[in-house]
Amino acid sequence: MKVGLKLALAVVGIGVLATVPSWGSAVLVQFGINALILATLAQSWNIIGGYTGYPSFGNSVFYGLGGYGVAIAMVQFQLPFEVGLTIGVALAVIFAVLLGLPVLRLRGHYFAIATLGLAEVMTAIVSNLEIAGRNVGLILPLLKGDTPFFELALALLVVTTLTVAWISRSRFGFGLIAIRENEGAAAVMGVNTTLYKILAFALCSVFAAIAGGIHAYWITYLDPGSAFDVTLNVKMIIMAVFGGAGTIFGPVLGAFVLSGISEILAIKVTSLASIFFGLVIVAAIVFMPRGFADLVQRFRHLGWRYFQENIRTYRV
Amino acid sequence: MQLLWQILINGVLLGGLYALMALGLVLVWGVLNIVNLAHGALIMLGAYACYYLFTGFGWDPFAALPLAMILLFCLGYLIQRYVLNLVIRAPMFNTLLITFGLEVVITYLAQVTFSADFRTVNPSYAGANFVWLGATVPLVPLLAFGVALGLTLALWLFLDHTRIGRAIRATAQNLTAARLYGVNPRQLYALTFGIGAALAGAAGTLYGVVSQINPYIGSGLTAKSFAIAIIGGLEKSIYVLVGGLFLGIVEALTALYIGPTYTDVVSFGILVLVLIVRPTGLLGRTA
Repeated sequence: MKVGLKLALAVVGIGVLATVPSWGSAVLVQFGINALILATLAQSWNIIGGYTGYPSFGNSVFYGLGGYGVAIAMVQFQLPFEVGLTIGVALAVIFAVLLGLPVLRLRGHYFAIATLGLAEVMTAIVSNLEIAGRNVGLILPLLKGDTPFFELALALLVVTTLTVAWISRSRFGFGLIAIRENEGAAAVMGVNTTLYKILAFALCSVFAAIAGGIHAYWITYLDPGSAFDVTLNVKMIIMAVFGGAGTIFGPVLGAFVLSGISEILAIKVTSLASIFFGLVIVAAIVFMPRGFADLVQRFRHLGWRYFQENIRTYRV
Repeated sequence: MQLLWQILINGVLLGGLYALMALGLVLVWGVLNIVNLAHGALIMLGAYACYYLFTGFGWDPFAALPLAMILLFCLGYLIQRYVLNLVIRAPMFNTLLITFGLEVVITYLAQVTFSADFRTVNPSYAGANFVWLGATVPLVPLLAFGVALGLTLALWLFLDHTRIGRAIRATAQNLTAARLYGVNPRQLYALTFGIGAALAGAAGTLYGVVSQINPYIGSGLTAKSFAIAIIGGLEKSIYVLVGGLFLGIVEALTALYIGPTYTDVVSFGILVLVLIVRPTGLLGRTA
């Protein structure tokens, strides 16, 4: 019953969202595309960060490679968008496997910093590539209308979320959770940890790369700074954590709520929205470190003591 | 050969400043197990403190340095005491995110208060230099190098030879045992983070003298500090000198032989490579 209700709600939600371009204003549709792409990124990060417990700060590399795959194919070789997207995804998967192999051996801070370093290296390399337009970037051909991008982004989010749903109840997903909880024990139980981690990394690279490709074609402009933006990477993490990392709908919820709030604030002052974003991160980590899903679940029993309880657990 | 000698001198002078930039990061990381993503933002604040003391009150940048350190110490103390202490025992990932939140808040508050314009600190002796063994030695970077070296050594002596320093090291090794010996971790953590912030303030002051500043330099400086910290290793604060000098020289050589736009490729490439091959740093013991 409960699962059925959730499923029905999700289907109705998707149906309503799909009709947004037919009645929504241009501003709403553009906001929607951004929110859907961020939700996809948060959801794809969820696979490696939420389920596997490897806090990657380098997922923006996949996003950037997807974008550059599309941009280079369309601008330098006049290939269609689909071909560019395939190239971008292929690049991202190759990158995930080749660099995942050594980097996924690191844990905790070291993994986080190594992936952060990879994002910086990629920015620096791409700014030196003639074919990628160096520092200046590339301007893509313009496709009129936001509707196709909206539907495309929505479809991508649905597929990503379905994949996460499948992961959460598959043998593969249980393996990832085992790695998150105790990697040594998982290995002893017969989980091929290296293979599982690489697969998880490659899987999230696919979705992030497609999101990057769609975004690049939509914005029609790409430069190294925005393609491999580390802030974007932190955004997807905070959205996933805010909603609840390691849950199916948490990252989507977190992405929608946070992009909604910062969009409303950005109407007033842009820098104010950024300050607010920072404050939300600080407050969320202090008061609800286990995310929105946990808040909803335990607030019912504990009431306002829930926040006190969280601080008491982690303070010194 | 002459050119190489000049490049080496530039690299070494830059490396001293690099070491100081990463020193606070290493201290906080080693003692509190917090990877402080706001470290670069604190450096940026130090640079602005120097800028305003210089343009507003006519203070010499090197005279402004102690005051900038005190200001940043107070800020760091408050941040740790009233924010970070609340989450310090949470998983490492949470502390990482919260410092990123602080970085965003500091950066954009700085943008609102100081504006996004580029600023420079230009004392009258800014362009002064002298010739030593055939190479031109610029005066300001040399002074900055001296101060950075002095502060690094001072921290090392402080940690090794004072009561508080020993308490800090003891806490880093074993919190429970340190508590049993009467260490108050709330105070001590705040103190440590304050010292880390003060070192960032000092680095910022010197950075402001040798380079342009704006509110957004923070994240790049954090990334660079990571590279320095990882190359040297986190075991001893003095190792950071090795990391700083190494990176300074490598960057100078890269700029000469490969091209100035490739310095970031090389420095962050080395960061990733060292992490993969020797996560304990070049000087660290093998696990």
